[in-house]
Order: sequence, then structure tokens, then C-alpha cells
Amino acid sequence: MVSFSPSSEAEACATIKDACALRRPLAIEGGGTRAGLGRAAQVEATLSTKALSGITLYEPAELVIAATAGTPLAEIEQTLAARNQCLPFEPMDHRALLGTHGEPTIGGVTACNISGPRRIQAGACRDHLIGVRLVNGRGEIVKSGGRVMKNVTGLDLVKLNCGAYGTLGLLTEITYKVLPKPETSGTLAFFGLNDARAIEAMSRALGSPYEVSAAAHLPAGIGSGKARTLLRIENFAHSVDYRLRELQKLLAPFGENLRLIEDEANRLWRDIRDCFFLAQPRERPIWRISTAPTRAASLVGRLAGELDIKHFYDWGGGLIWLSVPEEDDSGARVIRTALAAGGGHAALVRGPHNLRSRIDVFQPLAAPLMKLTAGIKSSFDPDAILNPGRMYAGV
Amino acid sequence: MNEMTAPPRAARLTSHADPASIEAVTRALAARFGNRLVTSQAVREQHGHTLTWTPNEPPDAVVYAQSTQDVADIVKICAEHLVPVIAFGTGTSLEGHVNAPLGGVCIDLSMMKSVLAVHPEDLDCIVEAGVTRKEVNEYLRDTGLFFPIDPGADASIGGMAATRASGTNAVRYGTMKDNVLGLTVVTPDGEILKTATRAKKSSAGYDLTRLFIGSEGTLGIITEITLKLYGIPEAISAATCQFPSVKAACDTVIETIQTGLPIARIELADALTVRAFNNHAKLGLVEAPMLFLEFHGTEASVAEQTQRFGEIAEAHGGGPFQWTTKPEERTRLWQARHDVYWAHQTLRPGVRPLATDVCVPISRLADCVTETARDAEENRILAPIVGHVGDGNFHCGPLVDVDDPDEVERVKNFLERLVRRGLEMGGTCTGEHGIGQAKMKYMLEEHSPAALELMRTIKRSLDPKNIMNPGKVVAV
Ligand SMILES: Cc1cc2nc3c(=O)[nH]c(=O)nc-3n(C[C@H](O)[C@H](O)[C@H](O)COP(=O)(O)OP(=O)(O)OC[C@H]3O[C@@H](n4cnc5c(N)ncnc54)[C@H](O)[C@@H]3O)c2cc1C
Repeated sequence: MVSFSPSSEAEACATIKDACALRRPLAIEGGGTRAGLGRAAQVEATLSTKALSGITLYEPAELVIAATAGTPLAEIEQTLAARNQCLPFEPMDHRALLGTHGEPTIGGVTACNISGPRRIQAGACRDHLIGVRLVNGRGEIVKSGGRVMKNVTGLDLVKLNCGAYGTLGLLTEITYKVLPKPETSGTLAFFGLNDARAIEAMSRALGSPYEVSAAAHLPAGIGSGKARTLLRIENFAHSVDYRLRELQKLLAPFGENLRLIEDEANRLWRDIRDCFFLAQPRERPIWRISTAPTRAASLVGRLAGELDIKHFYDWGGGLIWLSVPEEDDSGARVIRTALAAGGGHAALVRGPHNLRSRIDVFQPLAAPLMKLTAGIKSSFDPDAILNPGRMYAGV
Repeated sequence: MNEMTAPPRAARLTSHADPASIEAVTRALAARFGNRLVTSQAVREQHGHTLTWTPNEPPDAVVYAQSTQDVADIVKICAEHLVPVIAFGTGTSLEGHVNAPLGGVCIDLSMMKSVLAVHPEDLDCIVEAGVTRKEVNEYLRDTGLFFPIDPGADASIGGMAATRASGTNAVRYGTMKDNVLGLTVVTPDGEILKTATRAKKSSAGYDLTRLFIGSEGTLGIITEITLKLYGIPEAISAATCQFPSVKAACDTVIETIQTGLPIARIELADALTVRAFNNHAKLGLVEAPMLFLEFHGTEASVAEQTQRFGEIAEAHGGGPFQWTTKPEERTRLWQARHDVYWAHQTLRPGVRPLATDVCVPISRLADCVTETARDAEENRILAPIVGHVGDGNFHCGPLVDVDDPDEVERVKNFLERLVRRGLEMGGTCTGEHGIGQAKMKYMLEEHSPAALELMRTIKRSLDPKNIMNPGKVVAV
């Protein structure tokens, strides 16, 4: 396979213009750590962002950072940490789950809209993205948004490109708003709750004024013999202590609980973020299901009746990570039928190549939405040069 | 024209809608909607008003929709005849958004006022487009939850979504784009679609929700909105502080935000505005810039943090610093800010202020405000400034005698310079009010030509007939 690695935006434009003229589709690649996400694209050449690397603007006073797409996420996080700042959406690292190597890039994080546990309080990756530069499928530079927090000048092309898996443009430069790093954090663990009860506890915590920054439930057998329900609170030490105490009072009906040691808690949150608990055995496909938290436990109950599942919850129950056996369609039909009744969507995050080309990896869209989706794709990339088919067949 | 031959149907509307088509649409709508179709001059003009000097261009008819199906039916009839459709929430937009330059039918959504569902455990609710922000909060009153976005006007949730509105709370709670989980939209061919489910994460496919948010009615009509809700904070404190200069105030804000203090609101009033406060409510304040703040959190944290802010302010020469957590006193401290519109009018009785906004990186805010104030003074323009300083966004409201052509000319030039200044500082021509008609001319300056062309292509792709609020945002 041919591989291109442009070292400037101009060069990237030229590469895409050529590809467009030759009608030769390109697979866009950053660090390759999330290469298994999405459908298997039909391409003969790859376009790598690895030579487009470097932070282009960092204004700590403005809480804004911009970098070219191939910049390692780690470099950005270190640069921010040196000024006590962070990317608030806590991006997941897919390497453990997907068994990939290499360095996650900020372009990949953006293209796949990667967030983590703090999303429930701070918002998703997409919510923090304020500007992009990209090269569209015709090889033209498109700039949208910028470095200010608010902008209502026309259609929102910025958000559209976050979570588009590179099907609309090659992102070349990305601007995020960042936040001060929480001074400290505290995690409260409840033990032995069943799924429904755990979600009830998490909902109550999230609806309280104590600003819970993460809420996850690990059923028995996920990392420990005993079910654990975890609630995280962050910010100034004094305030964290106070809010944890208030939360303990509020959630007294949920029984036995404990404030975890900070190191242990941090490790747990990282494992939750990275779906570490389901990484092994490697051959089991992994689904990621979004639904309303109040429906999550009954949905999982229904799935457990039909499939041999292992699972845990993040985002207060709004996100279900599910591991299933690799057989037939690996649960696609069962999961999506169950979701159709209650609302929500499911994406296959891990699965063998042939599975990913046989089933809908992302939640299938209703006809009018698909029509819109196809219209947007062809507006950005009329000749279907960029990651064609990565999200949906024909898109 | 021969009554018998229908006018030739262009595939795409490029000029004013054909009178015979309008007539046909009006007849069909009258048959379907009876007295909910209104064509009186007064009502039409009221639906084309602009609150500014942008001239009124009334629609040909106004229909009061009561359901998503009504909206779909109206759109279908208009699409068939190639007649524009303009959505109307409460009409508080400020850049000619609801004008009908090509004629057409205005769909007034103010009768769509149901709160369809509240899900307290999931922290969301579903409302119809015509519900206003105050009505949402009124409805939520007993639930312990609230919806934070508060543009100065009591706008409709549909209109707020359509304009990607924000308000004084944006530092902490974001804008409409951060607080809408899903939409029901009537497309330009009258189809009904839902952009997302109630799942917290709405990322099945492209982010269509965000594409419609801020599209100002040019891609479709929003009929239902799923909103994110928040628990009412345990404690709220309010504070005010005056500063020797706009720069000192802005530096205080920058430092405060950087320390991670959970600030919910920070509003700046310039010295001219403080003079207006004095006129309006006899406050006897020194005529110097002033900050209004609000902290949300727990009892303990709010007190601690408000005091921490006080220390930062003092280090920047601020004072006197006043603060409280008591509800009545909070209202009193913020009263002047809430009354700013009327206060501004006291600077020049009989003349209504115009409203415009720009947004710049917060590190340039002090420069931008200071230069703008100097520009106004040099050009003999009274232009008080109020800002949502936490976001770098500020409003400038020149008081203009619209009957004085020389003054109108001076103010127009002044406003152009204001936008250019904002853009030169790395900002945007509008952070809140949107493009409408009046700011279309800045689109090319702000976006790259390819980006603008892309917006046009998307518009053409979604609305091939160009009937959705044509002549706004991007010209196709
Ligand atoms: C005193 C005052 C203060 C203001 N302060 C602020 C502020 O702080 N922040 C801010 O952001 N704005 C502010 N505004 C501007 C205005 O209130 C907002 O833009 C508001 O969101 C408009 O809502 P509306 O219901 O009045 O919409 P309208 O003015 O009726 O419509 C606005 C646009 O949206 C379209 N539209 C309306 N409803 C729908 C729908 N259901 N579907 C599709 N399109 C639709 C219309 O066609 C039009 O293009 C202020 C205005 C005034 C008068």
C-alpha cells in the first residue's frame, strides 16, 4: 500500500488533490492506536499525519491550546500539566483494549471524539473543540472556528468534524479550550449494589449540588469479587472533603461506603477510562452502548438473558461497556433490537476485520438522517476520497 | 399573467417569491389552518421587526403552528410552491434574522408551548420550540433542577437553539450548543426527523444536532428540543467590585478563571455604563469600570471562593468589594446589571440603544474594549459597553438618533471598525447574536473562502429549493 506523510498543510493539499484526480481513496492515519475503530475502509493508500506535529499556540491565560494533527496527545498533556492545566474531557487510551501500539495523536482524538469518565461533568471532546483547520476532499483548506470561546458565525463546521472519523476532511490543526487541572480529587466507593440500585445511587449523586465529576459501576467480577459503585469529586481539597461528606449523608440509604486512597482511585478511573477490565480475553468483541441511565440496567438484564456478556457502566449508567462472545453477528441484532425499544445506540469498538465489514459498526441511521449524512459527506468530499466507508457504507 | 397557466417552477428560489405562488400558498394554508393564518399588515410587520435599523421586510402571511405535524404541513405546501418559510420564536434576534426579503410564510411557534417530558434522574427534559426559557424554569421550579442559558430576552427555546444563544452563565454552563441533547426538526421537504436519542452521548454518526444549532432556521425548523438540566446549586454568592481601569478588571478575571475558581457569571460594565446606573437608580458609584460576579457551589466553597476572588481583585487595585450569599441582597447587588437596558437609555433619553456584539480572546479583551471606547468618544458616539468577560464577549450599544443621517453614518462606520478590530485580534464578528442579514458581509472576512463555500454547499444539499429562511447567514 502507498503511504503519504505530508510535512505541511500545503503538501497535504497537494496529496489530496492528486488522490482526487486519480480517484484514489485515502485512509487517514494518526498514531494508528485507534486504527480498529469503525468499518474497514476500502483504500489503496494511507495518508499519515505523523509529520504534521507540534503545538502551534498555547495561551495559558486564555485557556487555549492549538496543535497540528499529528502532535502526540502525551506532548499536549505534558505541556498543559506544566501550567497546571488539562484537557478536561479525559480522553480514553485505546491501546490496551485494541492491542495497538504507537502514540495517540490529537488528530485521532478529535476525529473519533474521544472522551473519558469526566465527560459526564465537563462535556465531551467535541464540547471543548473550538477551532479546526482541515483539508477537504478536494484538497482545499477550510478554516472554521478559532480561539474564542463563543462563536455564532454560520454553520458549525467545527463540531461536525469531531467524531466524523476523518470522513469529511483531513484535520491539520486543532484548537481546544482547556481548564485548570483539579487541585485534588476524592473517590467514594459503595459496595455490593446491584446494577439498578447502583444507577439509582449515581443518578442521585449526579443530580445533587456536589458536582460529581465521574460515576461508574463495576459489577461483581469486574476487577474484584464485589460490586463497586464509584463517585469522584474534584477541585480544591477543602471543598472536596466537604462535598464527599455531604454525598455520604445523601447516599446513606445505599449502605456501606469508603473513601478510596487517591492512588488507587486514580488507577481505577484510568482503567475505567480505557475499558481495561474487558481487554482480556482479546478475542471477545466489545460494544459500547449509550442509553438513558434509567434504562441501562433493564437493557443489560435483557441482553444477559440472550448473550454471554460481561459489562460495566460509566457516565452514571449512560455508557455501557459490553464484552460478548465472538459468534454469528456478535450480538449486533440482539443489542440493536433491545435498544430500539428503549432508545440509545451501540457501536462495535473491537471486533475482527471480517465482523467489522459484515455488520453495522455504528448505529444504523434512520433514512432521513442517512440522507442528510450523505449530503454532508458529499459537500465536504464529493469524490469520496477520505476514509470512504469508515462510518457507513457509501459515506 | 394568464390565470390558467401555472408560473414556471424554478428548481431553486433565487429571487422574490412569485406573487401567484404566494397567493396559492396562502389559499391552501387558509383552508388548512383557518384563522390561525393571519395576513393583516400589523401582524406581518410585527413578525418582520428587527429591533434595529435593519429595515422591516414583513412576510406575506403568518401561520400559528400548534404541532410538529402542522409545521411539516406548512413546509410541504410552501416547498411545493417554492415559497420561503421563516421560523419565528419570540422575534428578539437582533440582526434581521426574521425578515422576509424574498417574501414568504412566517411560522410563528409561540403556540407550541408544551413541556413534553421531564426526566429528573437523567437530568433532561423535552420541550416544544415555543416554550420560553423562563417558562422552562418556571415549570421545573419544584424539581430542584434548572436550565441555565439566559439571553437577555425571554426568548423561545427553539429560537435560542436556532441562534446558538448564550447568556451570562456561559463561563460555567456553556451555550446552547453545550446544552441541547437532541432535536426534532422539520426538513425543507416537510419530513420530520430526530437528530439523536435521549442517550447522553449523541454520537451516532455526524453531529447533526450541532449542525442545526445556530443555523438560524436556514436548514430546517426545530419543533422539539431535548435540554440538559442541572441541579440548583446548594449555594450562590453574588459580588460586585469596581476597578481603576478595564484592564485591571480583565486581568482580575483572567487570574480568577486560571485559578479554577468555580465562577458562574462575570459581567463587566464600562465607566459609561456605570454613569448610566447612577442616572437610573441613583447609586452614587464612582464612574469607573465594574464587575458583577456570581459563584455557584456549596455553602462552604462559595464563601471561601468569593473571598479568594476578593483578594485577587484587591491585588489588581479593585474595590470596594461587596459580596453576599443572601438571596435578597444578591438581587440588590445585581439589580443594576439586570436593568442595564433601561439604564443605558438614561444616557440619551428618547433614543433607543442598538445592540451589537463581538468576541475576542480574553487576553485581548481589555485592549478591544478600551480602543472601542476611545473610538466612540473620538467620533462623538455614546456607546456604552457591557461584557460577558469570562468568554471575551462584549456588547456595545450605541445610542443613535436614527433621524440624523450624519450620525447614522458615523455609527455605521464605528460598528464596522468594531468588527474589524475584533477580527484583527483573533476574535469573531459575533459571539452571541448571530449573522442574520446584517452580519453576512463579514462572513468572508472571518472564514476562508473554502469554508464559506462549504457552508453554501451544505445549505444547497439540505435545502435544494432554498426556501428555508433565504437571504440569511450565507447567500447561495
Ligand atoms: C434585550 C435583548 C438581550 C439579548 N441578549 C442576548 C444574550 O445575552 N445572548 C444571546 O445569545 N442573545 C441575546 N439576544 C438575542 C436574542 O434574544 C437571541 O438570539 C434569541 O436566541 C432569539 O430567540 P427568539 O425566540 O426570539 O428567536 P427569533 O428572533 O424569533 O428567531 C431567531 C432566528 O432563529 C430562527 N428560528 C426561531 N425559531 C426557530 C425554530 N424553532 N426552528 C428553526 N429556526 C428558528 C428564526 O428564523 C431566526 O432566524 C438579546 C436580545 C434582546 C432583545
